[in-house]
Amino acid sequence: MIAYIIRRVLYAIPILVGVNVITFILFFVVNSPDDMARLYLGDKRVSQEQVDSWKSERGYDKPLLYNETAKGLDRFTDTIFFTKSVGLFVFNFGPSDYGRDIGYEIQQRMWPSLAIAVPVLILGLMINITFALTIAFFRGTYLDFWAVVLCVALMSISSLFFIIGGQYLVGKLLHLVPISGYYYGFEAAKFLILPVIVGVIGGIGSGTRWYRTLFLEEIGKDYVRTARAKGLSETTLLFRHVLQNALIPILTGVVVVLPLLFLGSLITESFFGIPGLGSYTIEAIGNQDFAVVRAMVFLGAFLYVIGLILTDISYTIVDPRVRLN
Amino acid sequence: MTETILRVKDLTTRIGTGEAAVDAVNDISFEVSRGETLALVGESGCGKSITALSVMRLLPAAVHIVQGDIVLKGQSLLQLPEARMREVRGSAISMIFQEPMTSLNPVMTIGRQISEALRLHQNAARDSLNKRVVELLDAVRIPEPQRRVSEYPHQLSGGMKQRVMIAIAMAATPELLIADEPTTALDVTIQASVLKLLRDLQRDIGMAMLFITHDLGVVAEMADRVAVMRGGEIVEQSARDEFFSKPRHPYSRDLFNSVPTLGKRGHRLAVVGDDTGPLDAVVSPLHSRESGDPELLLRVKNLKVYFPIQKGLFKRTVGYIKAVDGVSIDLPTGRTLALVGESGSGKTTVGKGILQLIRPTQGSVEFANEELTHLNSAELRKRRSGIQVVFQDPFSSMNPRMRVTDIIEEGMKAQGTERDAAKRKQRTMLLLEQVGLRPEHALRYPHEFSGGQRQRICIARALAVNPRLIICDEPTSALDVSVQAQILNLLQDLQQRMGLTYLFITHNISVVAYLAHEVAVMYQGRIVEHGNVERVLNNPEHEYTRSLLAAVPHVPELQSL
Amino acid sequence: MIVPLLDIKLGLLLTDALIFLLLIFTVAFAIYVSRTPHLRSQWAHVLHNRAGMISMVVLSFYLVMGLLDSIHFYPKVESGEGKVVYSVQLDSVLDKILAPIRIAVEKTYSAPFATNLYAKETVTVDGVETRIYPRLKHGGSHLDDPENEKSADILSHTLQGAFKGTLVWLLLAVLLVIILAYRNKVSLSQIISSLMRGKSVTPWRSALFTLALVVLLIGVCAELSVYYHVFGTDKVGEDVLYQSLKSIRTGLVIGTLTTLVMLPFAILLGIMAGYFRGWIDDLIQYLYTTLNSIPSVLLIAASILMLQVYMTNNADQFNNLTQRADLRLLFLCLILGVTSWTGLCRLLRGETFKLREADYIQAATAFGVGHFTIILRHILPNVMHIVLITVVLDFSGLVLAEAVLSYIEIGVDPTTNSWGNMINSARLEMAREPIVWWSLAAAFLFMFVLVLFANLFSDAVRDAFDPRLQGSQ
Repeated sequence: MIAYIIRRVLYAIPILVGVNVITFILFFVVNSPDDMARLYLGDKRVSQEQVDSWKSERGYDKPLLYNETAKGLDRFTDTIFFTKSVGLFVFNFGPSDYGRDIGYEIQQRMWPSLAIAVPVLILGLMINITFALTIAFFRGTYLDFWAVVLCVALMSISSLFFIIGGQYLVGKLLHLVPISGYYYGFEAAKFLILPVIVGVIGGIGSGTRWYRTLFLEEIGKDYVRTARAKGLSETTLLFRHVLQNALIPILTGVVVVLPLLFLGSLITESFFGIPGLGSYTIEAIGNQDFAVVRAMVFLGAFLYVIGLILTDISYTIVDPRVRLN
Repeated sequence: MTETILRVKDLTTRIGTGEAAVDAVNDISFEVSRGETLALVGESGCGKSITALSVMRLLPAAVHIVQGDIVLKGQSLLQLPEARMREVRGSAISMIFQEPMTSLNPVMTIGRQISEALRLHQNAARDSLNKRVVELLDAVRIPEPQRRVSEYPHQLSGGMKQRVMIAIAMAATPELLIADEPTTALDVTIQASVLKLLRDLQRDIGMAMLFITHDLGVVAEMADRVAVMRGGEIVEQSARDEFFSKPRHPYSRDLFNSVPTLGKRGHRLAVVGDDTGPLDAVVSPLHSRESGDPELLLRVKNLKVYFPIQKGLFKRTVGYIKAVDGVSIDLPTGRTLALVGESGSGKTTVGKGILQLIRPTQGSVEFANEELTHLNSAELRKRRSGIQVVFQDPFSSMNPRMRVTDIIEEGMKAQGTERDAAKRKQRTMLLLEQVGLRPEHALRYPHEFSGGQRQRICIARALAVNPRLIICDEPTSALDVSVQAQILNLLQDLQQRMGLTYLFITHNISVVAYLAHEVAVMYQGRIVEHGNVERVLNNPEHEYTRSLLAAVPHVPELQSL
Repeated sequence: MIVPLLDIKLGLLLTDALIFLLLIFTVAFAIYVSRTPHLRSQWAHVLHNRAGMISMVVLSFYLVMGLLDSIHFYPKVESGEGKVVYSVQLDSVLDKILAPIRIAVEKTYSAPFATNLYAKETVTVDGVETRIYPRLKHGGSHLDDPENEKSADILSHTLQGAFKGTLVWLLLAVLLVIILAYRNKVSLSQIISSLMRGKSVTPWRSALFTLALVVLLIGVCAELSVYYHVFGTDKVGEDVLYQSLKSIRTGLVIGTLTTLVMLPFAILLGIMAGYFRGWIDDLIQYLYTTLNSIPSVLLIAASILMLQVYMTNNADQFNNLTQRADLRLLFLCLILGVTSWTGLCRLLRGETFKLREADYIQAATAFGVGHFTIILRHILPNVMHIVLITVVLDFSGLVLAEAVLSYIEIGVDPTTNSWGNMINSARLEMAREPIVWWSLAAAFLFMFVLVLFANLFSDAVRDAFDPRLQGSQ
């Protein structure tokens, strides 16, 4: 078990190196730092001195992979690839292209992101499971049929619609909560309600339908017939036997995304003006702040790999059949 | 006069509605009394399982009881509301199923699964509950019951799981136990012990038993009375001894005659509903196959197939699963060697090792005086036509996306035995005819055929490249006995006509007795006994062989034979 | 290429070429299916499914729009010296068809069916400056007294449109009946009665009913849009209905070309990993785990950012606006493809892993059939259902993704017509009073209908092709 986890952690290293290579190619090879500087400085006729000073301020003035002017090992370490990669691996993201410290920003903005993402996840999970169980109980009836139709219809609605519609209805027409903005502390609640509700509703269609499929798959299995032959009632059957088995794929599916909750939701946060990591990323994209986007790519990949490891571990906890080797 | 526990009267159960409806069970009546076992015998699709589920009222949604009555101790079950019926299930009537592997909840300890049944039907207190669970596990002879309580189903073997199922069924001391093919998925030695357990439990608590099976040997061991089902109807009901001495219905007699036994060697087996001729004519002796000293075709020496077990941080190989551990076989041309063993004995791996589908870890496979293990894949490819294979599962052994003609021609193309397309077609037609199929079958897809027909196509496919040796890996164990008889007849015919050599891998002793010249008994990756069939079956030397043979349920030979 | 008779010069965008390539593939596949009995019977399941049939009718409307919008040409422009000169601006056949509403440009916003502008303007009437809502140049300009005449006028045009629609529908219905009667070799009356009672195996009645709805809606919209802006106009006065219809092509391109781009990789790598195992499997797994570990939005954002940098710095290579936007659309498909192939690849790997052990593949190996042939003959046909289900399932997700990506400005080019761009430009007007809702509504409506019926269609396909679902039925 421990050997397995260690191996998984070690396996994460080549993956992160791979991610790093991809981002390096994207950010430094496809376009040279000069190109970025020109775009950033915004003027076609910008002088080479301006470009050079922009690059040296941000450490982009080194050679990409191999430094001919340096000596010994420095030939490889005194390069953009090495300096920028090492920074990522020790979570020292450095300053953004606008000069603010990325690490500090991430620490600050992580919490508002979590304040939305966690309630959305938990509420969504509870509501979707409840709906799906109810539908599974009435399987084969008209209720089942129309519930599935409703789910498909909900799935077909763009998430943007829920956000815009929610803002318009709750915020503008009913004036129940502010449309956007954020306070820290308990005051945050009134800003969070709407995005959380919108997030949950947006996920009901696909979530409920997916869980219903899982439940129905379990209901068709032999052990359910055994339980019926014992004389169990349909509700006990669903709650004790079917739910327990179907929860395995549901929970492990959730565990994968747990670490990624830190990154927040890009769209929701920027629409509702929540100062989380999602809106941070959006702003960075809008401002063409390459350092931030690069940091977020690496962070996202890192969290995903953590999620994969957690998933494996969670399997051993919830599924007695799984022993990791 | 013993008390009647279950009375089924004029029961008709229908699948589907409207014009597409089929009566899976058609107007059947039977009774089971206290302490008695009624065996419901029939081939797949005869409606025996539907009958059992009708009694439990656990039919799938599309299946309905349309007529008749089911009476348990004077109480009509069909009149009961669902809530009352639930009280009957698991207490007055219990049921065990065919697949012990999937019939238990995989994420619940077996202790909880048993106590769940106890709590439902007996108001046992919590502390006494645990005691009862252990008692039950002990009663179904599970060793160390205290420890097993907290284990999960996957930690138990198939036989143990079936015992747990029986413990659940016994939890409320039922009046009637319905056992639906309870030992079909188990090895014979385990089958024997589970059957004994059921008999003992029945004797102890005096329950009635409705025992559903397709195996006449099991019927002979278990039944007090026998009901034979065919096409949804009960064609014959009689007491056990009467049934085995004088089966009345022609179908029952056909069933008997299609069971392969040592005594029927050299005779064709009877087949049911086949167009190969009337029944009286088919039990005719074949030509004697014994001839002079034939040449050696296959020589396997000290074959070993190991699978590495990898553990630890760097997946170091810490040991090996010795699937095949030093097997040696000599097989002369034109003979049949049966490789017998229970599941996990490594017999299938031997077959794949000979075919070089799995490269052996060690040892030599010499086919027609040529060593196969040293050949590289290109050289091997050229020699593939010599050895062919027929698999167990007629449903997964053909590509569902190919037509029969393409399936049969594939080998000819790959081996280049017949380069002319027209000649290939011609040969395909000939092969179809040889295996008893019609030319128009060539353009159909596998799913349009029954299990037996598919197995015929697989044989035709193997024959297409003129092999000298065919490895038959349990070719009949997924088939009903009457269909099995057809395939066995076909294999014998082909051997005679073409001088084929068979390596027949099976767990079924009666097939061995009927078909093989020699037999090798495998146990844990090794051959423990090897010799002439009659010698091994009549005078087994190795202890394992003896216990294996003792466990095989014995079908009494009909007097009329 | 100049087509002499029509006096136009054909122009081919990169995405057009790919769309027609895809179309050729699809037609070839359809012919193959109709000649292969088991595939035909599975597709027959889709056709016999009522939801499947209805969605096919609706989807074909979108498809026709998208295809019409993919035939591009340079229109002829008059030049003084009698020489034939072609415009540098690419037009599509759809543009030509929609010309009446395309050129009916107002000054700025106007509500659906409005006759006056949304915003007040200062005009000088008889020397006095007043602020009024000026009349629209096109919308309802034929009315003298809009307030009193408008309702009646709309009603009469609706009826006219409905009538024309009904005629077209009748024509199509009669055609269908004749074809059916001819193919099944029964009398017309028999076909009609079986259709009316809904007894046909293929749910033609539902299809005809859906077709009636679609044709009626088109008829009414077409009739009304000549006189009014059915969905209003946007900030620069462009007709919203025109924009919505033009956006169809973008949605379809993203939904289909992305798949086309990723399929070869997913199929090849997935099957190779599952079939050869060992280090090939390790390598491919590493590849897709690495790609998968980058959150796709971020990967798309990074790539699009880099594309922007590249395009800005090499602006001289992209002199034509349409081509530049088209290239960006294609690039978006590419990068979406890169982020979405991993799921299918993993599925195929798992399935091949299982299939490899199937007896029929063992049997083929025992015949000495080569690896390549085994993959082509035995594995590929038996995993195609997974590919097909994934393709239809992915489609709706991609259409929705386009809107989201365009909203955060990492989607299609701002000059490309797309529902995402419509939503993006309209959301800023949410704060206005009264609210400008029509652009949003139109974009959401068109997108919803497409995605809904694509979802229903994919359900029908899954019912027909997923062996697990067939087992439970």
